[in-house]
Amino acid sequence: MRPLPRFRVHRPESLEEALELLATLEKAKPIAGGTDLIPLMREVKVDVKHLIDLSRIEELNFIREEGGYIRIGATTTLSDLVESELIASKAPALWEAAASMGSPQIRNRGTIGGNLCNASPAADLGPPLLALEAEAEIRSLDESRCIPIGEVFAGPKVNSLAEDELLTEVRFKTPPQGAGSAFEKIGRRKAVTLALVNAAAYIEVEDKTCRVARLALGAVADRPMRLGEAEEMLRGKELSEELIEEVSALCSKLVRPIDDIRASAWYRREMSRVLSRRVLLKAWRRCKA
Amino acid sequence: MEAKEVFERFSERESFLVIGRSIRRFDALDKALGRAKFTADYVERDALVVKVVRSSLPHALIKSINIDEALKIPGVVAVLTARDIPGENQIGYALPDQPLLNDVKVHYVGDPIALVCAENEEAAFKGVEAVEVEYEELQAVYTIDEALSEDAPRIHGGEDNIAVTTRVRKGDIEEGFSKAEAIVEDIYETPYQEHMYIEPEAAYAIPEGHNKVTVIGTMQSPFLVREKIAGILGWSLNQVRVIQALTGGAFGGKDDMGPLVCAKAALAAVKLRRPAALIFDRDESAAYSVKRYPARIRYRSGADAEGRMTAAEVDITVDCGAYANRAPFWLWRMTAHAAGPYEVEAVHVDGKAVYTNKVFGGSFRGFGDVAMHFAVESQMDMLAEKLGLDPLEFRLKNVLRPGSRTTTNQLLDHSVGMEECLRGVAEASDWWNRRRRVKRTEGKLRGLGVACAHHGISTSRGAPDWSAASLILNEDGTFTYRTGICELGQGSQFGHAKIVAEILGAPLESIRVEGPDTDSTPNARPTHGSRGLMLGGSAAADAALRLRSRMVKVAAEMLGCDEGDVELRDGRAYDRRRPENSVSFRELAREMYIRGVSPAAYGFYAPPRRYFDPETGLGVAYPVYTFAATVAEVEVDPETGEVKVVEVWPSMDVGRAIDPLLIEGQIHGAIAQGLGFALTENLIVEEGRVLNPNFKDYVIPSSMDMPRVSNVIIVEKPYRHSAFGAKGVGEPAIISIVSAIANAVYHATGIRFRTLPITAERLYRALRGEKP
Ligand SMILES: Cc1cc2nc3c(=O)[nH]c(=O)nc-3n(C[C@H](O)[C@H](O)[C@H](O)COP(=O)(O)OP(=O)(O)OC[C@H]3O[C@@H](n4cnc5c(N)ncnc54)[C@H](O)[C@@H]3O)c2cc1C
Repeated sequence: MRPLPRFRVHRPESLEEALELLATLEKAKPIAGGTDLIPLMREVKVDVKHLIDLSRIEELNFIREEGGYIRIGATTTLSDLVESELIASKAPALWEAAASMGSPQIRNRGTIGGNLCNASPAADLGPPLLALEAEAEIRSLDESRCIPIGEVFAGPKVNSLAEDELLTEVRFKTPPQGAGSAFEKIGRRKAVTLALVNAAAYIEVEDKTCRVARLALGAVADRPMRLGEAEEMLRGKELSEELIEEVSALCSKLVRPIDDIRASAWYRREMSRVLSRRVLLKAWRRCKA
Repeated sequence: MEAKEVFERFSERESFLVIGRSIRRFDALDKALGRAKFTADYVERDALVVKVVRSSLPHALIKSINIDEALKIPGVVAVLTARDIPGENQIGYALPDQPLLNDVKVHYVGDPIALVCAENEEAAFKGVEAVEVEYEELQAVYTIDEALSEDAPRIHGGEDNIAVTTRVRKGDIEEGFSKAEAIVEDIYETPYQEHMYIEPEAAYAIPEGHNKVTVIGTMQSPFLVREKIAGILGWSLNQVRVIQALTGGAFGGKDDMGPLVCAKAALAAVKLRRPAALIFDRDESAAYSVKRYPARIRYRSGADAEGRMTAAEVDITVDCGAYANRAPFWLWRMTAHAAGPYEVEAVHVDGKAVYTNKVFGGSFRGFGDVAMHFAVESQMDMLAEKLGLDPLEFRLKNVLRPGSRTTTNQLLDHSVGMEECLRGVAEASDWWNRRRRVKRTEGKLRGLGVACAHHGISTSRGAPDWSAASLILNEDGTFTYRTGICELGQGSQFGHAKIVAEILGAPLESIRVEGPDTDSTPNARPTHGSRGLMLGGSAAADAALRLRSRMVKVAAEMLGCDEGDVELRDGRAYDRRRPENSVSFRELAREMYIRGVSPAAYGFYAPPRRYFDPETGLGVAYPVYTFAATVAEVEVDPETGEVKVVEVWPSMDVGRAIDPLLIEGQIHGAIAQGLGFALTENLIVEEGRVLNPNFKDYVIPSSMDMPRVSNVIIVEKPYRHSAFGAKGVGEPAIISIVSAIANAVYHATGIRFRTLPITAERLYRALRGEKP
């Protein structure tokens, strides 16, 4: 097998230490589960001399509800998400997305921070976190900022973080009682598959009227995207299958997919409509439940 | 022959000791624990790393090969080219069209040009990048039509790009069609399939003194590997020792890749006088190793008003890719199975295999019969529909039965269980009810499809075929059994051990199997064509019978009884009339050694001679056929085009089930592999370049995609000329599953796919009116 380029591994035990290493070492990169980074390094697509392993930093590994927010530490694995009662009950879209990813082995290693920072347009956690209006906390040695989750993505496989920054936490408002969310994905097999299209919706209904509607799609543009125009059509309306059908049809026009060896842009547009409808219906049904 | 009589007596036993029972394989534990050793596990740290320099162009003349820069890289020990080959630079299988290393011309992207031998992987990779090859690019040919066009460049010289042709002329085709009430004609195309065996190609070569080399490798034909290495080195066969390591999946591909990879490692080891290892990366394996041959079949067939087949006219074109490799055999197999497992009076077949500048095809489970049956089984469904018959009923009217004649007019006088297989799956799946019942459920479309398969076992036509094995009774009463048949995951060797145990009355755990080592195991010929158990196991039986007669003779003297009264069982020899009178195999063995009665036997087996006329394509094409039928139920999501295979009902006429568990293993695996071929596997080759040589984008099914597999229906119609009547089981199941799925998709959607795979996007488009 093509050998990995030579590098040194550092295993800090605190966030402070990790940020310090990132700030001082040349060509340093954080590594969490390594399920994205190691294959890239083998293909010689990244130039790394130092790997900063985040897995020993306990303060980055948590899922908790606090001050009206659900907060998830960056190194939380996909398996942790799947095993969390909190996520399953309050944010089923996120739960479904995590459960759909890779295989048990990949879910045991892959992390939420890694999925976002790898910034794949098809990242499965992108749409649900967009639909939940999550934000990311970004830290460097001397700065801490909080950005909407969509801003982590800067382009295909490019994130917006500076070289000395780490994503430390993802958080979103705890969905109120009666909110519903859902995730769906079309791949080319049932597991270990990259999304051809993925989608997530979040809906709040009050007295039959849709108060909040959020819809996000992945693998249909250079990064996961919110579909604001579609959301507007739903907000303030009484939901119906017809309305959702109409909104979904619009979605296939709003997306900007490409042709590649996995699918044509045309099919991705068509599936954007199908998945939009499915997640909206499912989320709506969950509001009612 | 005496052995034959004893053997017949065994086959007619009312109940068996181990035959027919599901017993845990003796290699299961080590494999589950990760203790089994594969080729790469034998490589020592100081071995040279060998990497192949490959052509970057699909078709070009080589002007020069400059290795100077590569040699300057620290760690690069040598770069070997065609010039370094002491023997003949030729490794073609069927035709001498394939150099081991090219120095004149390259024929596809990936064609080997040189071997970089280095102290480590890093240096080897750098070395490969540093070798400069200067080309004169030639026009490349990518499709069958381009290859056959008048002005196409000739890839291997000659008059045209046709590597080989075949034909069958059976009966009066005009008359056949004139009797037909319904005639259907169509063109079918099947694509490449990559094996994606879990273990990529690997070979480790160790020089022994100045004129011998040992090669450990992943392969299916150790003796072919030996022959090819000897040819490359210009040595005699006994200067080359080939050991087949446990092989992590092969599916036919390693039959072809074994010699190519082992010869390169051997060349490096001998030239540089150091152990050398060549291990493929996944992308290398997926892009440049042999694939299932793509094929195009034009098929016209007819049936009369009663629903009896009257004629089939078939035109086959196989896309060889850059080299012929197995194409002549592949094409002959397709040709000889062209009418499917049905009796058709008039059959005309014309076949040809053509060269293109793409990765070359080779052996793959089902060997041409997957494509052939895809055409046949689609035609059968279409004819049934035209005649207003149920597709299963229509097949039942036409299946081969004892006394039937095949495509090549071969008379099948016994061991023909096609009808029982078909009736079995019909009953198990409740075909007639279910077929009517299946329909829309929650917006999904359900459909039920059926398909049959037949597959000639072992080697085609008149080609000589035999196998050998040896068996030693050790001084302590245990046995060492040696076979040249390879363990590829399928468990043939365990089947051999069961045959030996049955005949000798020996506990299974007292038999140790020694796998292929050309210095000590007899030549059993290749482990392909589903022949490992039938041919290899029959040689095992012959060895066991020979040893048995000597054991019985000595035991009779020890026990003071007639030979006819000696019974061997549980590792002891008994006097049947006085069972308390017995000796253990340990005592018996010692006595044999003391008396000078040979404790070792060599077994040899050849199926009955066949006759075949290549001019008319008529004759006995294969010694015997295995039959299979499959019913599949699918669920189509019309909103996405996704197909889910819900349940599969498989059956097979295996002759005799040596071990039902082994058969189930083969059938489950074949269902997975067939499902991938039918629905998702799609090697994308653009201008000769493979764009998806990886698991991410070459989509084989995961365990989550497996359907529910109903109990395997095992039909036993023993073959008179093999051990206990067993026939091969490795390939037939993949043949019927592919067509069963395609037919089920048709039943669900009314859309007939004539090309594979039926990907979600293709089906989605077809559902919206695009031509499938
Ligand atoms: C077989 C297989 C199947 C897969 N299936 C799926 C799938 O179904 N869906 C899907 O979306 N993905 C899938 N993936 C991709 C991958 O597993 C996920 O994206 C995973 O979540 C990545 O997490 P990680 O911790 O392994 O990331 P790593 O590889 O450790 O890191 C990825 C990138 O993020 C950076 N990074 C990591 N953590 C931080 C941080 N806290 N702050 C700043 N930068 C950081 C790293 O430097 C690197 O650039 C699959 C991968 C494989 C190999």
